[in-house]
Amino acid sequence: MSTVSSARPAVALYWPVQARRNIGVRSLFVVVLAFLIAYGFLFPGLFSASGFAKFTQSWFPLALVAMAQAILMLTGGISLAIGATVSLGAVIAATTMAGPLGVTGGAAAVALTGLGIGAATGFIVVRLRLPAIVVTLAGSFIIGGAALLILPRPGGAIPEWLSDLLAGDTPTAFVLLIVIVLLWKLYLATPLGLSLYAAGENPVGAYRSGVPVDAARVAAYAISGLLSTGAGLFVAAQTGSGDPVIGAAFTLNSIAAAVLGGIGFLGGQGTMRGALAGSLLLSLMISVMFFLGFTPVAQYVAQGLIIIGAVAIPQFRKVQQ
Amino acid sequence: MMKPSFFASASALCLGLVLAIGVGSEANAAAKCIKGDRKAPYTIGWANIYSVPTWMKQTQGTIEAEVETLKKQGLVDKLVVTDAQGDANVQIQQIQSMIDSDVDAIILIAGSSTAPARVIADACAKGIAIINFDSLVDTDQVTAKVNTDSSQWGDQAAKFLIDAIGGKGKILILNGPAGVSVSDDRRKGADAELKAHPDVTVLAETNTPYNVAPAQEAVTSLLFANPEIDGILSLGGALSAGAVLALDKQGRDQVPITGENARQFLELWKEKGLKSWATMQPNWLGAFAAYTAVQALEGKDVPAFVKIPLPVIDNSNIDEYLARAKDFPADGYIYSPYDEELFKKLLAQK
Repeated sequence: MSTVSSARPAVALYWPVQARRNIGVRSLFVVVLAFLIAYGFLFPGLFSASGFAKFTQSWFPLALVAMAQAILMLTGGISLAIGATVSLGAVIAATTMAGPLGVTGGAAAVALTGLGIGAATGFIVVRLRLPAIVVTLAGSFIIGGAALLILPRPGGAIPEWLSDLLAGDTPTAFVLLIVIVLLWKLYLATPLGLSLYAAGENPVGAYRSGVPVDAARVAAYAISGLLSTGAGLFVAAQTGSGDPVIGAAFTLNSIAAAVLGGIGFLGGQGTMRGALAGSLLLSLMISVMFFLGFTPVAQYVAQGLIIIGAVAIPQFRKVQQ
Repeated sequence: MMKPSFFASASALCLGLVLAIGVGSEANAAAKCIKGDRKAPYTIGWANIYSVPTWMKQTQGTIEAEVETLKKQGLVDKLVVTDAQGDANVQIQQIQSMIDSDVDAIILIAGSSTAPARVIADACAKGIAIINFDSLVDTDQVTAKVNTDSSQWGDQAAKFLIDAIGGKGKILILNGPAGVSVSDDRRKGADAELKAHPDVTVLAETNTPYNVAPAQEAVTSLLFANPEIDGILSLGGALSAGAVLALDKQGRDQVPITGENARQFLELWKEKGLKSWATMQPNWLGAFAAYTAVQALEGKDVPAFVKIPLPVIDNSNIDEYLARAKDFPADGYIYSPYDEELFKKLLAQK
């Protein structure tokens, strides 16, 4: 990296580097593409504006939590509190937005809560050197409890226009996702973003090279929290209300999406595009299997086989080489 | 009653929709969501929230049996089943898929009392008959909702228990999961009776899934902390069986307890000679929902809310239930008998 002095070779290097980073997830991309084609074939309505909008809306929250989990796993962390944080984001949105705070105030409250929870979790994990899995498991009880305190049973409301904007017949969610991915690219170009992979892959080496390892990890937790409550806000808009336990399934699904996308548990391995593709596959499978007319039991089996297949194919190649 | 139906007919005609039904019979307004453009045989979508619990399997059994009957009558040709595995977000996606594949009716148990409201409204706008039963959604954009009254459930259970312990004493309250409407409503329903009897002290409350093992565990730890317990207000599922087993394992005397029609509990009731009371969420709500969906699609007016009276099991009729026990799974629920006559009567009530 340091041998590259002029700008032109750096640009020339960009695409080969990106291509090499894709190696582990190429088979996943192929599987996802196959599913997309199958879905389009089974349900031609997918190519209408509202069909595409509805499809991306079912994927969007899962894509956000997959990103939230992937950021942490890249730094060598993990979170078992993502589901609870989504729920908290949803109930805060549903209790504030229709009130005096309005949509802006409510969105700010959701964002600040996410950043705050994430930063606090990150601080405890990084500074007190406690295992992330334990801290976030405990955190999931606290955050989940807080969601139940704010809204003991499903209720609250989201202004109709916001629901229609985010989860109506226009692909706003997809545009938002593109914006978020671009912001992620931008973040990777900042000093903290650059430190992210280094802090995950070899924290000691990175620290000795002057990389702000702790700051990078705390920032990752804060961003993860923000993405999680953001997903909660979206779910609240999509459903028009808040539910204190709506996010429960996202914890496991976020980990599944990230692992499917080639993110390693040990940190520093994998790409965000992999995690996004993983989440897209999980979401696509549900719709495609419905249109194929699989019974629920057959769906369980097929889902497991597809996941194992997508993860195993690159490993087969490695073994053969 | 006549005028509104004229208005309904007029507006329906304005929308250019077929209104063949109801011409022969007395002005019969179509049910909500029904546009009259769908013809038999119908495709029914069953959007299940979670297929694993035995109660759900039995409920699906009644739906499949009903669909077989309707198939023979040429009214239904296909049943599409989805399972959201407990995830309300997945259920929304699956209902969306049902809309995309243009089913004629959707029957559902909601995974959240709020979350599916918008997708259901979309389905209703497309003329799909929506029958929501058991766990209901807070929306009026459905053809009909079908349920027992959870609040009455809690009220009657509390009444029985307070009577059984002579109007005073120390009790435990066993609830279903926190944050779930059914469990919340049953608990709220019990409140009035508890407030009216200040001599009844609530020692502790539990929130567990509606399963034997977690309830048994929760009650066991409460037994250590509370040497004196006069009664247990159990608000559902297999919680009561868990409590009876916990008392039994600890060698404590059985106390008056309320419960539901779980086979295991009814058998323990008989075996331990308990004084008890139970009601039920009948599994045939599923069959009734499928029946109602087809009735609505056929142009019959159906009530927006069908309240199913709570069947009661007590020491006088428990033997009738236990006599049929062998027809039900060991960890299942012995529901009250049903037939088409009963369904007709339920739909006729206003």
